[in-house]
Amino acid sequence: MSNFSLSLKDAQDVAIMSPTGYINDLGAERLELTSEQYLGRGLRKIVINFSHVQFINTLGVSIFTGIVQKTIDYEGQLCFTNMKKIHRDIFETVGLIEHVRVFKDEKDALSYLSDRD
Amino acid sequence: MKRMMFSIASLADLGQEVSSSKELTDKMRSALYVVTGMFSVPSASLYAYEAPKKCLKLLAHKGHKDAIKQVSRLTIRADQVGKFRINEPHTIRELSLSDFYEQNSSVFASLQARIFLPLFVKDEFVGALALGKKIGKTPFRPSDKDVLRVVAHQLAITLHNARLFRDLAKKAAENKRLYENMRRIYHDTIQAFAAAIDAKDEYTKDHSYRVASYAVAIARELGWKKNDVEGIYVAGLLHDIGKIIIDRDIINKGEALTGPEVREIKKHPQISYDILSKIKFPWKNVEMFVLHHHERVDGKGYPDSLSATELSEGVRILALADAFDAMTTDRPYRNRMGLDEAFREVLKCSGTQFDEHITKTFFNLLLRELSGEVHDLQILPLLPHLTESISAN
Repeated sequence: MSNFSLSLKDAQDVAIMSPTGYINDLGAERLELTSEQYLGRGLRKIVINFSHVQFINTLGVSIFTGIVQKTIDYEGQLCFTNMKKIHRDIFETVGLIEHVRVFKDEKDALSYLSDRD
Repeated sequence: MKRMMFSIASLADLGQEVSSSKELTDKMRSALYVVTGMFSVPSASLYAYEAPKKCLKLLAHKGHKDAIKQVSRLTIRADQVGKFRINEPHTIRELSLSDFYEQNSSVFASLQARIFLPLFVKDEFVGALALGKKIGKTPFRPSDKDVLRVVAHQLAITLHNARLFRDLAKKAAENKRLYENMRRIYHDTIQAFAAAIDAKDEYTKDHSYRVASYAVAIARELGWKKNDVEGIYVAGLLHDIGKIIIDRDIINKGEALTGPEVREIKKHPQISYDILSKIKFPWKNVEMFVLHHHERVDGKGYPDSLSATELSEGVRILALADAFDAMTTDRPYRNRMGLDEAFREVLKCSGTQFDEHITKTFFNLLLRELSGEVHDLQILPLLPHLTESISAN
């Protein structure tokens, strides 16, 4: 069974997704599908809060690659917050970090996005 | 350095996915996700080679949700397979010069593939991986090709094993089907024999079938295993096969038999055994049940006058089933008994002719059927002429 859950909240025109647990199997694909649904509905600003993410493996990287690509396709903006160093290192290594904005917390990300209308 | 460490960790993740116990489609999908994560590729497709259909069939994909139909199949001929470099990544630029690419150009356009990786186990082609462009259009590095060679080996072995397993499962299903057919033919043949035995005796029509059915009812009640129950059913059907060579006039004689006639008819269990012991039944002891179905627990039976301790449970069951049917059907020398009379007769002979435990088991089941406690009737349908009078009373 997947050790993964996802909580969602909308802050006006921003979708905030907070995954919890391990992002290492197909159960975590929900994160990618949900992002796509938000983008498909016209929402262009997505924040992913990593504070409750315990582990990301290569399959997890694939899921974030999909999210990044879809955000590019929809010309959206993707922000990552509350990242541990180990997770940031992975995204730097695979080159995903160049396509996202990284913030200390949700507040900073929302503040940045509110100036980008 | 970081990149190399990530590649090693990714290959470990891939190893974990391909060796998982997941169903093949899920396993290959997870493996494909790991590969796309390794190279930051948002779209990729994994194909399994189907030589008879001359195609590569889509097994798993990522990022082609809107174009599944277009990418579901690549056509390929054996001579085109021979041109691939084994487990070596081919760039689409290289591949575009081949007639394989030419005939699948629309599929490759939908795939937006940058790398085509043919998957081989030794020199057997098992499938292929098509990788799309990297995110941000970063080109594939020379070191990526080294990692892809390792990926190719892992995926190829997984596909190959899955194919072997699938072939084995197919063969097992085919064997099972053949076995079932053979079993059916076996049963039909046995039924035909039983009909031939009963045809010889005008009074004992369906006797073999009823004896077999009573024996099954008792064996089930005693908790016998399914295969053993089937064995005693067959023994019941064939227990009188030796009567085939006994003179019809003796079998159907309407008065008391003479001494030589009794001796003649008593030969039938041994003759039955002699016939059946030539057959290698898939059930245990069929011929022994038949040989001893006229033995008694007091040792006064025939042909071997065995003592109670020498009688198997199957023999005891068959002895009671045979005698009970003889009592409850018309014979040339007497009319059938009513159910009450047959009950009394069996009880009288319990402990001498019949085994007490088997008798008790049989009567308990019969009484439960008569009281309506049991819905799946096994004995009463065999006694319509007797149970009608009971319900009338």
